Amino acid sequence: MNASSDMSFFTLIAGASLPVQLVMLILVITSLFSWWYIFIKVATIKRAEKDAEQFEETFWTGGDLNKLYESVTAGRRKPQGMASIFEAGFKEYIKHKQQARMEVSDVMEGARRAMRAAYNREMDDMDAHLPFLASVGSVSPYIGLFGTVWGIMNAFRGLSNVAQATLTQVAPGIAEALVATAIGLFAAIPAVIAYNRFASSVDRLSVRYESFMEEFTNILQRKS
Amino acid sequence: MMLRQRENPDSFKAGVYSVLVHTLLLGALLISFNWKTTHPISIAQVELWDSVAVEEHKPAPVPEPFPEPMPVEKEIPKPEPVVAPEEKPAPKVEIAIEKKPVKKEPVKKEEPPKPVAKANDALAQLQEEARQEALKNKSVTKSNTNDALKRLQQESLNEDKAAGEQKASAASAGVVDEFKAKIQAKIRSNVNKTLCGNGNPELKFEIGLIPTGELSGAPKLIKSSGNAACDDAVERAIRMSEPLPLPQDASLFTQFRNLKLTFKPNES
Repeated sequence: MNASSDMSFFTLIAGASLPVQLVMLILVITSLFSWWYIFIKVATIKRAEKDAEQFEETFWTGGDLNKLYESVTAGRRKPQGMASIFEAGFKEYIKHKQQARMEVSDVMEGARRAMRAAYNREMDDMDAHLPFLASVGSVSPYIGLFGTVWGIMNAFRGLSNVAQATLTQVAPGIAEALVATAIGLFAAIPAVIAYNRFASSVDRLSVRYESFMEEFTNILQRKS
Repeated sequence: MMLRQRENPDSFKAGVYSVLVHTLLLGALLISFNWKTTHPISIAQVELWDSVAVEEHKPAPVPEPFPEPMPVEKEIPKPEPVVAPEEKPAPKVEIAIEKKPVKKEPVKKEEPPKPVAKANDALAQLQEEARQEALKNKSVTKSNTNDALKRLQQESLNEDKAAGEQKASAASAGVVDEFKAKIQAKIRSNVNKTLCGNGNPELKFEIGLIPTGELSGAPKLIKSSGNAACDDAVERAIRMSEPLPLPQDASLFTQFRNLKLTFKPNES
């Protein structure tokens, strides 16, 4: 076997045994999905941050809350992010206000609950796919390692039949097997980096939402 | 439900990006892997063409010797002794076929003429017993005259060739020297001079090159400087200098196949 001419990337993959090839396939699919989610996540988080920025700006310029509520609900789209929290809280507040003879504390409690629910929905949206990225980051090196171990086991089993063991008999098998680890790492590294980045972005967004909720509750309380 | 709706605008674009990232990586991998594997094949081709091209000067005197083996008696036996020595030059496979009739004369000339003629005669006797006597005389005389003719031809051919080579070498000597100097300069620029001490050590290396300018084997130390660290430094410099500069003209490469280079690392 001419080692130098046979070591192209495709022959390495084609020469691997079936379990190793399966492992490689799984890893490639995982990697494709994790990159897909990464790009989706980048877009959603960027949009959420921009929306929050815009909404805070209009909210704190001190316009009429009723007007703001109208402008938020007027859009074709469902309000998102901070706007949806505001919408839920203010709607609940108005409803309670319209019913006469409500205690102020009950009104506030209702508005708070509504905002909490909207906040949870938003967070759920933000957190989606993050667990997938986390598990890809932690598990795919192991899957790749499994493929490598399997391939190396095969490569060494081939040695048992020959009297004179040379490196050339195992080297191709080991090279084939190592491709699995390489693919596993390729899937894992971006997933881990992306997970850490997104987790911190989502945390900061949630803090922002929560502080907005507190401040908005205070404003409502003053109004009632 | 709400979750899905929100992602729709991005998800397609994100999928395209993801596939793009993978194709990019695969492309990068393929380039880096294939580069090394295809390299040696092209080298082999270059060398083949080189040797063929040089040999192609010979077929010039084709038409002249052709009529000589025309005599009927000789035609059959003659090729047999000739063909065997003909095949000695290994790389000329292509040309050998068309040259078979042509090359008879140079081959014959090298050998003593008599035994060939005699062998021919023996065969001729077996084949044509009736004309035995007459043929014997004829073939002997004929082969003698033929040999004289061929010798003349060969000599003139050799002269032509020598003249041509001289001209070519005169023209290319400058280029060869220039490239030898370039090779030496490139290697020298890579030598770590601090390893060679204060004196003026001199060392000689023999290196083999392939047409791409890479080393065909490990450089051989012919004359040591007496300082092992210095020798190592120069050897490392030779390896670092790959690929070495070579002239564009492929026919000059034979001059670079084995080079003996002298280095004086401390000489500026």
